[in-house]
Amino acid sequence: MASKNVVGAVLVAGGGVAGMQAALDLANAGYYVYMVEKSLAIGGRMAQLDKTFPTNDCSMCIISPKLVEVGRHINVELLTLTDILSIDGEEGDFTVTVRKNPRYIDMSKCIACGECTKKCPRKLNNEYNENLDTRKAIYVQYAQAVPLKYGIDAKECLYLTKGKCGTCQKVCPPKAINYDDKPEEVTFHVGSVVLAPGFTPFKPSVFDTLRYNDVKDVITALEFERYLGATGPTMGHVVRPSDHKDPKKLAFLQCVGSREVNRASNGYCSSVCCMYAIKEALIAKEHSGGDLDVSIFYMDIRTFGKDFEKYFEKAKAAGIKFVRSRVHSILPETGGGVKINYVTDGGLSTVEFFDVAVLSHGLVITGETQELAGQLKLATDQYNFAKTSTFNPVALSRPGFYACGVFTGPKDIPSSVMEASAAAAAATSKLTPARGTLAKVITVPPAMDITGDPPRVGVFICHCGINIASVVDVPKVVEFAKSLPFVEYASNTMFACSQDSQEKLVSLIKEYRLNRIVVSACSPRTHEPLFQETLAAAGLNKYLYEMANIRNHDSWVHAGHPEEATQKAMDMTEMAVAKAALLTPLKENVIDVEPTALVIGGGVAGLNTALTLSQQGFKSVIVEKDSQAGGNANRIHTTIKGENVAEYISDLKTQVHNDPNITLVLSSQVDKVDGYVGNFITTLTTGQTVKHGVTIIATGAKEHKPTEYLYGENRRVVTQLELDELLKADDQNVAKANTFVFVQCVGSREKERMYCSKVCCSHTVHVAVELKKKKPESRIFVLYRDIRTYAQKEDVYKEARDLGVIFIRYDLDRKPEFTQDNKQLRVKVLDPVSGRHLIIEPDYAVLAAAIVSGRETDLGMKFKVPLDEDGWFFEAHQKLRPVDFATDGMFMAGLAHYPKPMDEVVAQAQAAAARAVTVLTQPKMTVGGIVAEIDQNRCSGCGVCKAVCPYSAIDLDDKGKAVVNEAMCKGCGNCASSCRSDAPSLRGFTNAGLFAQIETAL
Amino acid sequence: MSEFEPKVVAFFCNWCTYGAADLAGVSRLDYPPNFRVVRLPCTGRLNPKFIMEAFKRGADGVWVSGCHPGDCHYIAGNYYARRKFVLLHTLLETIGVDPNRLRFSWISSAEANKFQAMARDVVESVRACGPNLTFRKAPLALDLPEVA
Amino acid sequence: MGALETITQKIQDKAKSLLESGQAEVVIGYRKGSTPLVAAPYFARTPSDCENLIWSSFAKLNLANYLPNRTGKVALVAKGCDARSAVGQVTENQIPRDNLYLIGVPCSGLVDPAKVAAKEGRPIQKATETDETITVSGVGFEVEIKKAEVLRRNCEVCSHRSPTMADELTGPEAPAAKPDDFADIKALLAKSPSERLDYFQDLIKDCLRCYACRNACPLCYCPVCFVDETRPQWLGKSTDPMDTMTFHLLRALHCAGRCTACGACETACPVNIKVREFNRVLDKAVQENWSYEPGLTWEQKPPLTVYQPNDPADFIK
Repeated sequence: MASKNVVGAVLVAGGGVAGMQAALDLANAGYYVYMVEKSLAIGGRMAQLDKTFPTNDCSMCIISPKLVEVGRHINVELLTLTDILSIDGEEGDFTVTVRKNPRYIDMSKCIACGECTKKCPRKLNNEYNENLDTRKAIYVQYAQAVPLKYGIDAKECLYLTKGKCGTCQKVCPPKAINYDDKPEEVTFHVGSVVLAPGFTPFKPSVFDTLRYNDVKDVITALEFERYLGATGPTMGHVVRPSDHKDPKKLAFLQCVGSREVNRASNGYCSSVCCMYAIKEALIAKEHSGGDLDVSIFYMDIRTFGKDFEKYFEKAKAAGIKFVRSRVHSILPETGGGVKINYVTDGGLSTVEFFDVAVLSHGLVITGETQELAGQLKLATDQYNFAKTSTFNPVALSRPGFYACGVFTGPKDIPSSVMEASAAAAAATSKLTPARGTLAKVITVPPAMDITGDPPRVGVFICHCGINIASVVDVPKVVEFAKSLPFVEYASNTMFACSQDSQEKLVSLIKEYRLNRIVVSACSPRTHEPLFQETLAAAGLNKYLYEMANIRNHDSWVHAGHPEEATQKAMDMTEMAVAKAALLTPLKENVIDVEPTALVIGGGVAGLNTALTLSQQGFKSVIVEKDSQAGGNANRIHTTIKGENVAEYISDLKTQVHNDPNITLVLSSQVDKVDGYVGNFITTLTTGQTVKHGVTIIATGAKEHKPTEYLYGENRRVVTQLELDELLKADDQNVAKANTFVFVQCVGSREKERMYCSKVCCSHTVHVAVELKKKKPESRIFVLYRDIRTYAQKEDVYKEARDLGVIFIRYDLDRKPEFTQDNKQLRVKVLDPVSGRHLIIEPDYAVLAAAIVSGRETDLGMKFKVPLDEDGWFFEAHQKLRPVDFATDGMFMAGLAHYPKPMDEVVAQAQAAAARAVTVLTQPKMTVGGIVAEIDQNRCSGCGVCKAVCPYSAIDLDDKGKAVVNEAMCKGCGNCASSCRSDAPSLRGFTNAGLFAQIETAL
Repeated sequence: MSEFEPKVVAFFCNWCTYGAADLAGVSRLDYPPNFRVVRLPCTGRLNPKFIMEAFKRGADGVWVSGCHPGDCHYIAGNYYARRKFVLLHTLLETIGVDPNRLRFSWISSAEANKFQAMARDVVESVRACGPNLTFRKAPLALDLPEVA
Repeated sequence: MGALETITQKIQDKAKSLLESGQAEVVIGYRKGSTPLVAAPYFARTPSDCENLIWSSFAKLNLANYLPNRTGKVALVAKGCDARSAVGQVTENQIPRDNLYLIGVPCSGLVDPAKVAAKEGRPIQKATETDETITVSGVGFEVEIKKAEVLRRNCEVCSHRSPTMADELTGPEAPAAKPDDFADIKALLAKSPSERLDYFQDLIKDCLRCYACRNACPLCYCPVCFVDETRPQWLGKSTDPMDTMTFHLLRALHCAGRCTACGACETACPVNIKVREFNRVLDKAVQENWSYEPGLTWEQKPPLTVYQPNDPADFIK
């Protein structure tokens, strides 16, 4: 491959959260990205969610900065309304042909004012709100959509279907409507393909006994999510759909269309439903003031992720009832609500009334994705998920094709994001020679020196067509602006954001020697970057810019009060001018980046991180405290897919050994750390000094030593890893053994360790199946609390049951009892089905011991990164930044983050490498802009600023005075407001500037 | 002017409440035009001095709003801010500033309706307090027009 | 020998040995004042200086105020509140722990000269004391007063009279006073907002903005104080009551979670304003919301530098 020319571009198919993350990591690593999205806008399913578990973060709030970043990235070409027609060629050089379907709107003209939608006569089901309310035939997918451009639903538009109407064309202020828009075929070249097609929620119609089709008060969880959403059909008010009354009792039915092979043919577990049901239950309770009665009907509660078990506990504490029962039928009740028939744990047949039944439907691969996979000859499993291997979790069956998100199996947002970053790394492993060849670079003229010049403010008041001007008296605002101090020039403009207005702005800056620009128009959240680019193009420092939002915050919301709105526009413009006059050019500095990574930990995570970085052309140093690499994997026999781990590890070690980019330092640890992103200097206990630009913490975890079940007292009692070692060694006693008892959750999900160790259930069923296959007559018992074989691993659980493995559930207050009598082990457990005690005399009792963190507090302190209360390293954001630390240049992978199976470890390792590459790939890093600075003359060295900085960007220097590391500061201003003597100042938001705004506001 | 029109200075964080106000605009949710917004990156940037300054200059009310706890764009800015707010709120309330003049809220960027309802409620609460004649500098000292 | 003399002796002995051994280059303590009811600050630099050091219930200054920016090793004679201030200064990096030696004085409360003056109504020329009483005299009179009747407000309600953080304690722990129950503030809260505003505006009507309260405060060590800012000018230079109010409110906010109720500010006020009233509002809030009292351990983190995700704040809608 290296001898051939490869293309430095990648196709990302799918604009959901996985696709977006992959696109950003690729684009930030120096590749050009074509992002193909079928619908009008990117965002995917996550844009439909109200909140996200387990932090109850507002979904839109956390995703919208990502949407904007993708939408504005110079190296991401967004192809919306686009279908993939063909992908030909091979890894390194594919030819992609797509069809861009007509939007009927000129995107360069549309200002998203919504006049068209207001006047459009066609009312249609609104898919964004799961058809619970309506939209028009011309519409935006959702209010925060990217690109924020309208589109016409051609199948429903009266003009396009019948040639009548044409209203939108008449009312569109910038004349953006183009009914003659045609589909267009486009061909481009890429080196590899990342598929992130996502999922569709399972349609519960096939279950006739659940009455989703004909009973209004039976709804899906996604429909319920929209009811909870502030932008939903009832604006966040939970209602009973049949009569819109406040519900008193709510039921969630789990596993609708999952773990079901009779009608749905979906044997897999959808992985996310338990958590989203708990989330929706909690939020619904919150919305209704707490007196809502919620029951969740389930088979096993699968809260296996980071902080999930605590979330489950929180739900129980909040009074949410968990009923272990699979509901077989629902009946409508006259006057609204439903009757639910179920059998209790004790075998009692029960009927209970609920106002609303919410069906927790699973995740399904769409027909279109199946077709695409078929066309591309990509191997899929029986459920249409893409086939991948444990050791290569994002690579598909054909070279050059990679995947992330639900396409490789049902998963939640952080796992999807991890895979997305992993896919970005894997998809470019063969493209490094072409890195940067197609990526565009913005060049701007050097900024004029305005030092010492008095402020010369230019003010531009936008009409926004009629959006502003129909309410606000724009000429009056212009005249007022001219009277303000320092204003040299003021004028109105029809569309400030249009291309010609931007060009005019550049020439006016030059003509009037303007050195501060104020635009009174729309929101800085959407338009500030655009105007800043124009300033830069005009040779003006881009921070000499201020915006007054006289549209979103004024004309659009005070339409009935034109006089007051005009006064407000004047005040807002005055506030902006007052602040602008005090703005100073902000410099952006460039720092060197040492293109080497330090990887701490030489287990599967660490080794894979280093190997992935090497494929990307970067050096790394792995520090391993043991005398050999491999970590816990050295003890594991086979994976749930049957792959041999010993062979894999030995292969990994050979690769690392032979890789000139990787230095493995054994029997060593981190001693001292200095520096920050781009420029760390770390001293190891072996004395070496490593200069590195990034750090990846992959310190792993260990197996808990059980303190119960006669562990250590009876030789027949072993842990899961100990059994694996025996199996690996072909132990004859194990081979001869006939009876096995597996005990799950030994040390997990209990008070001192309120988390699920995630891997044990799956590993247990896998080993049980292997033992049973070798010796069908053996008797195998699994004593469990909830079986958590999530995703496709559910198949192995079913296989185990089919092979005759006996599963017996126990409760925390009735743990199995272990006794020994002359070395004979005796296990007593209550069988909840028969209500009788079983006595088993096993040859081996295998304890699924918890995975416990290394609690690397000391390492965390050295690198200024936090740990959570269980000792896991704490990521920057649980949903969207699962491998990053809040501190720049710091990443994590593997069990140091949380227990996870090996395929997820490898994915996270690749993801950490991908994230690291976005730093390492820039030889110089730009820092500065809106960051804090310290006036040391005012600093008392008290350390308040340092303590409150969320990014550890402030330190005290050798004189005891605070200093800001610009490379780490994110510009929140927490330091500036916490200091008693105003030593820190946030550039762009200085005290003087804000003070001027307050002064002029009144 | 027949009725007293209160003047409210609002401090919004860029990521949540300012976004909610943007969305309220997109959704054309009208509310009274009585407040002027100072945009901050984060409620963590809000120095209590700003609020004092607004009152001193004759604001009839002050409204501070940011991301819900846990939603901060800067990880924890609003958690630190919340502690400052507790102190400032307690202090001003105790010394006799009508609590209806000072509002703190958490409004996410998706909660345009909450924003609208809160905006209305803030203005009505302040209106009910009447003009701020006591917790401000003397109008003459500021050369301000006469208050109602 | 009474407790006062015992403590004085121990202070002198300790100071002498610290200076002799080089453990301290200076001992900051009190000497007899030149006016009645006042003990003056005293810097003992040589062993022979130490005989001037005294302990007295007139020792109203908080000597921790002398610590910030001091180089070299220093020993401080500290009652409970002063020691807590010093601990706070260590945690705020104003003095290295290694440079500080705390000679702790178990304090039984200090005498408020204003209360004495109000009680007597005659010019007092001389004051002496025993453990329980003071004797004041002037032209044609001599009166003995029980100390308990003329304690400073903050000393009446002191929760940490003995400096438990001290390196050495010069006597047995003092009997605890009742902690501040903020009853008066609670009573005030029952009144209407306008009555409360009247109360606080009246409280500071005599304020000269001389900043003596600030200068006496061991927490006010900023290189630049907000009252002196010009760009932006947070505080007008006029005597507008709102500027005065702003000064007191912001000063209280700056001391929140750090104030140890030493009363130095009130003692320093030339017009006898109960300036601590503002601080107490926040002391109460800090205790009620975050169960925090400053200066009790070396590891304590000031409440505005930390947070809990579930911190109470019901007023935020």
